[in-house]
Amino acid sequence: MSASTTTGKLDARKEGQRLVNQWLANLHTAHERGQPVAYIFVMGNAIEILRAFDFEMVFPEINSLQSGVRKVSGDFITKAEDYGFSADVCSYVKADVGLMLSNMQHPSGTTMPEPDLAIASSLCNVYIKWAEIWERRFGTPAFVLDIPGKRFATWKSPPGSPQHLADSRWVEGQFRDLIARCEQITGRTFDPDRLAEVEEHVNEMVRLWIDILAFNQRRPAPYNSMLDGLTYMGVLNAWRGTRAGVEYMRLLHDEISDKVARGEGRVADERFRLIFSGTPCYVNMRRMIELFESHGGVFAASDYLTYAAGGLDSAGLFYDTARPLESLAEVTTLASQAGLSNHFFSHHQLAQQVKEFAADGLVYHGIKSCRTVATSMADNREYINSRYGIPTLYIESDLIDPRYWSDAQLKNRIDAFFEVLEQRALLEGQ
Amino acid sequence: MNYVAGIDIGSTQAKGIMLDEQGTITGKAIIDMETNMATAAEVVFQQLLASTGLSATSIAFTVATGYGRYRVTFGDLQVTEISCHARGALAAFPNTRTVLDIGGQDTKAIRIGDSGEVTDFAMNDKCAAGTGRFLGAASFALEMPISAIGPLAMKATHPVRITTTCTVFAETEIIGHLAKGHREEDVLMGMHHSIATRCASLVRRVGLVPEITFTGGVSRNPAMVALLQEVLGVPLNVSDQAQFMGAIGAGLYALDNLRAGRRSAHCGEEVAR
Repeated sequence: MSASTTTGKLDARKEGQRLVNQWLANLHTAHERGQPVAYIFVMGNAIEILRAFDFEMVFPEINSLQSGVRKVSGDFITKAEDYGFSADVCSYVKADVGLMLSNMQHPSGTTMPEPDLAIASSLCNVYIKWAEIWERRFGTPAFVLDIPGKRFATWKSPPGSPQHLADSRWVEGQFRDLIARCEQITGRTFDPDRLAEVEEHVNEMVRLWIDILAFNQRRPAPYNSMLDGLTYMGVLNAWRGTRAGVEYMRLLHDEISDKVARGEGRVADERFRLIFSGTPCYVNMRRMIELFESHGGVFAASDYLTYAAGGLDSAGLFYDTARPLESLAEVTTLASQAGLSNHFFSHHQLAQQVKEFAADGLVYHGIKSCRTVATSMADNREYINSRYGIPTLYIESDLIDPRYWSDAQLKNRIDAFFEVLEQRALLEGQ
Repeated sequence: MNYVAGIDIGSTQAKGIMLDEQGTITGKAIIDMETNMATAAEVVFQQLLASTGLSATSIAFTVATGYGRYRVTFGDLQVTEISCHARGALAAFPNTRTVLDIGGQDTKAIRIGDSGEVTDFAMNDKCAAGTGRFLGAASFALEMPISAIGPLAMKATHPVRITTTCTVFAETEIIGHLAKGHREEDVLMGMHHSIATRCASLVRRVGLVPEITFTGGVSRNPAMVALLQEVLGVPLNVSDQAQFMGAIGAGLYALDNLRAGRRSAHCGEEVAR
């Protein structure tokens, strides 16, 4: 049953919730229904191939963030630390270990199925070690995709260039190995037409997602990229390459488009347009956003909505469904360069967002779980401050570890940031 | 004559400043913090009134700052201590472009633009290393008043190197150094040096632009002033009112509001306190 409003029109928020619940319910019964299950990450996951074999997807990152949203992550993390994991290990990993130590009982009510196949990629340096934990726990060998990154900061690999084709062949070879593995697990033969169908859905989702991101260039911004945007992205990742995913995106697109036409903003009085860089604090995200929105500050854009949106940040690249496997390798190779480990000199992208979204300020959120993400923030901040002269703020907490949330300290910094923005607006108005 | 008040509710002390409508300081009060911030605010306010002979209803506007600013029930406006310390420092030293404030549990470096506006700030993370609390741990471990540790540290001849950045473990390290036979002044100088290097790092993060004004209670510590000047390589402005700088800034914001025609709802009315 679809989530509709009293006028009979579908409501994207409710429909998103329904899809997430449906996905979790499908996972719960996957093995009963004889359906294979794959564990994958949001970046560099070859989901198109897995869909072509009708795998159900478990995203352990989403499981972990959901445990944060549902306020259970602290318990899961404690279980993992009791087992021997260090306080310094990524909280996503520890929440996943906590889930395993809790008989796979996820707070959503779903009993998470064990994997028949697990895929890791080289896009995050924790992925491979995390996948090793699955190997040890479930006895499921992890398939590791090595996706080449940027050679240097300004490196360009235009579609069809010798470097791009060489990289694509490298990735395509791995995809062929993956297909052989999928055939072995499922007992089915690879169907290129089915892959092309999945890719057609992804193409449509990418087109719509690019528009949705651009809608927030309008003033007032129709949604908060770090609250509403996170919900959209969760559905997109879980339902990527499906007809239901396309329909959800169309609904979302139309709903936001209508909001733009009505001049309706996320906050009643949008006073400051902000960019968010880094990862969310899922365990307290609503509170974090409240600390900004209470001052009329809305996150119009975020780098997170690009690099964590799976392959949806493909820089306008679309699959050529006449050559589904070759095209998958070509697009994956280029799209992955915007991913985490390849996020070389991300200040260029942030500077672009500052201009496109007419930002008044930029907020960096460093997290205890991932020093990789936080490493470039100091230089990045210095660059934006000196080149663009807009106020920036650095705050710290964690993805889902509630122990790193300090409300009074965060509020103090955020209040002071808005005082800086207010003073600046006052001076500019003089 | 109209009067305004600035109330700074910090982690270790509550401070109050009274200004007349010309911006002259007419009274001040300071107390050690207690558990209840609202009560501490009330007590410091009453002491402030007592020091000036004014009644609560004659205060035209009150700005509250510090971590407890939202607990000042009689406050008309809340402003963070970042803005207030910058404002206070500028009033005392008009050429200030950088402010370093070392408080009880927060250290902040603040950059000030040419128009007197705050352009950037950096603060210690959630850990209390590099704050006044670190000196508090030394004071506790050595069983001496906090006011005595700076002058004693100045007598050091062979300062030890303090390796921990954790305020809790600092106490253990101090005891360890003393057990090895190091002199108290050498251990204390090591503590001061540890804080100074962390604070200097914060200052560099916002850009070291002279003049630098040092505010907060720790600025009364002569060893810390000397070390910071050495580490940063520039002289520091230190006001004899440095401890009150946040409250003075709050008072000046209150004065702005008064001059803009805003008055406290309590002003001129008999309010039961």
